[in-house]
Amino acid sequence: MEVLDFLVDPLRSGIDRRALLELALVGGFCGALGFWVVTERLAYSAESLSHGLLPGLVLAALAGAPLLLGAAGGALVAAALIAFAARDPRVGPDTGTAVAVTGLVGLGALLALAPESPQRLEELLFGDPLGVTDGDLAAAAVLLVLGGAALVALHRPLSAAAFDAGGAAAVGFRPALLRLVLLVLLAAAVAVAVQGLGTLLVLAVLIGPPLAVRHHARSPARAMLAGAAVAVLAGVVGIEVSFHAHSAAGASVALALCTAAALGSALRPSPGAGRRGAWPRSRRRAQASPGR
Amino acid sequence: MPSPLDLADLPFLREALLELVLLAVTGGVLGAWIVLRRLAFFSHAAGSATFPGLVAADASGVSPTIAGLAVALGYAGGVQRAGRAAGEGGRDHGEATALLLVAALATGVILASDVFESGAAVDRLLFGTLLGLDTADLVLSAVVAVIAAAGAVALGRTWSAVGFDPDGADALGLSAARADLSLLVLVAVAAVAAIPAVGVLLVTAIYVLPAAAARMFTTSIRGLVACALGVALAEGIVGLYLAYWLDVPAGPPVAMLGALVCLVLAAATGRSAA
Amino acid sequence: MSATAVRVEQLAAGYGSEPVLEHVTLEARAGQSVCVLGPNGGGKTTLFRVLLGELEPTAGSVELSGRPAYMAQTERTRLDFPVTALDVALMGTLAAGRWWLPPRRTERDAAAVALERVGLGDRAGVRFGELSGGQRQRALLARALVQDARVLLLDEPLSGVDPASARLINRVFDELRSEGRVLLVASHDVESARSFDLVLCLNRHQVAFGAPAETLNRAALQATYGHELIVLEDGGGTRAVTVQHHEHGH
Repeated sequence: MEVLDFLVDPLRSGIDRRALLELALVGGFCGALGFWVVTERLAYSAESLSHGLLPGLVLAALAGAPLLLGAAGGALVAAALIAFAARDPRVGPDTGTAVAVTGLVGLGALLALAPESPQRLEELLFGDPLGVTDGDLAAAAVLLVLGGAALVALHRPLSAAAFDAGGAAAVGFRPALLRLVLLVLLAAAVAVAVQGLGTLLVLAVLIGPPLAVRHHARSPARAMLAGAAVAVLAGVVGIEVSFHAHSAAGASVALALCTAAALGSALRPSPGAGRRGAWPRSRRRAQASPGR
Repeated sequence: MPSPLDLADLPFLREALLELVLLAVTGGVLGAWIVLRRLAFFSHAAGSATFPGLVAADASGVSPTIAGLAVALGYAGGVQRAGRAAGEGGRDHGEATALLLVAALATGVILASDVFESGAAVDRLLFGTLLGLDTADLVLSAVVAVIAAAGAVALGRTWSAVGFDPDGADALGLSAARADLSLLVLVAVAAVAAIPAVGVLLVTAIYVLPAAAARMFTTSIRGLVACALGVALAEGIVGLYLAYWLDVPAGPPVAMLGALVCLVLAAATGRSAA
Repeated sequence: MSATAVRVEQLAAGYGSEPVLEHVTLEARAGQSVCVLGPNGGGKTTLFRVLLGELEPTAGSVELSGRPAYMAQTERTRLDFPVTALDVALMGTLAAGRWWLPPRRTERDAAAVALERVGLGDRAGVRFGELSGGQRQRALLARALVQDARVLLLDEPLSGVDPASARLINRVFDELRSEGRVLLVASHDVESARSFDLVLCLNRHQVAFGAPAETLNRAALQATYGHELIVLEDGGGTRAVTVQHHEHGH
């Protein structure tokens, strides 16, 4: 059948099959982690981290080393530099982070655009799912298994702390420590996912799926599972489009993720249920109880 | 190492030098306000958002400047209407905005593979160019510099008042809201002016980093403008020289230099109590 | 089970060089209720944090029977987080059990029982953010009940609560006292303090501690609340009314 052939064609190509597998593994984890990224308002940190690891990636590419190594190293340096810059009270975290990230992006571009450098900057910025190596696939699998296990084990403490940090502290957890664990998982996710989506687009796989499902999911667990499913589906759609329309693969997946977020946000449930069910509702952490 | 005097001798470098000087003027005057009003992310976003528009303009023969201005102004209007006018609090620009920018960059790169022969054109849009600057770019930068200076003189007090007390700004009336919108519009237009030289991704290199560095050793608004101007000029010229020497676009060296200066100053002058 | 459930001697605590709380000495026996009065910033929350083990005291000693349970104010919770009333009650079981496992049957039953006890049995599946103010406070009380603690610390449990919920909550308090538990209730309501066994007045240091009749006199209240206090006297005796400054940021 023509339609079936049309859809299955990418699977015939080994390259696209591997790309699909990579995106499924990465999307599965990032789509779930994304729930916490949005709940804990870590989107800006995720974006800054992903942009800031560019020099690490470029250095790895220049040295012929695995990109994952460069990404991980770059993420560590970026995290440290951003943490230092953002803490200066004179300019504020927004400006401080901009200083660190702009400097790092400039460094990465400088290294990549020097005439002696091989021209791989596009792949590093926008991703290269079709160029996924066995090492990348292994890393993605490890991320999904270990990261997923961490998310499952920490599910109840994370929920308790997100709901009420003071109450969570009262039963023996340390919200600061939980947040640190989330940041570590975030850094790992970014380092692995950046191969397929690039530093500029990787944010889409972390916050696109949670935004797509947030008006529809009724519990954190369901939001995470739904997010993972949306991410995988968007990956498939992106590769299909890229295969048939000959468009850049990473960018196509990123656009699919953004579209999913837009559709999910627009297709809210009916106003009555929607208003009660929607989250996160507003910038303010909690609203005053009546009578206060 | 090439002679620094080449910057004045070689015609194309003279143009690049003039462009960076003009941008530095804006970077000093407007940059001070960008830092004071926490608009760093906004200036970066306004630049990044124009990327698909610029690619499309190249394909359709429309002037990239017009296309860039249309997108940037649209973005500024959208931000103002969304009520996150000055991005107070820094991180409140929201996940939706972040995804919008990702979509813009992804759309741009997909269009680019149809429009451009090589990746070099995309690099030019992302990180700027030394050679490709033309008179129109210089004119726009000059106009922006003049308007920025005039605007800062005329509206500086209002910008300061709204920044100090956003809630009380309503009491100051409609003129305050319009003055604030004018700041956003100015920053958006300035971002477009900087794109040819430093690229879509590094607009903050000339508009935020020098002013942030200046903030490390002065607190008065007048002092901030003056120091930001000086730092921006110095960084622009030295950055241009580095770009010429290393044969790269101007954006990356200016960005690196700006960040280095700012972070070293931050470490050296320590964290003040307020 | 020893009779004394809470004993604090010359407690001092702070967050930096300055102590925010000094010279606190109190003792409460099983079945007693203590009302903790004081202005915002007076040290009520600090005292609770020390008792919960979150904050190390800089001086003095604390003796407690077991780990206290804590009932927070709704302001501190996130109303848009998608958890049901039952989920909130279940969070209390995290204190005892192995948190990395999903809740066990016994834990679920305990949470359901706690919800019944606060009158939310039929609301177990409702989203926390969709409950009324009084129902939310009751859900937070259920979370504290589940921990089966000898000592309960309650942070303004009746503020913003409708009368029906308040009655229910007070009934639960009476039950808890008859079970031999100790309740420490931080409150702004000076009037209600009269119905407690003991009253503790804090204003960065201990102003008074003892039975309501002894501690709720004009001098002590003045020292506690300072200019925030308005005292109205009518024919039969003094009626004190506190006027609190609404401070942002607890």
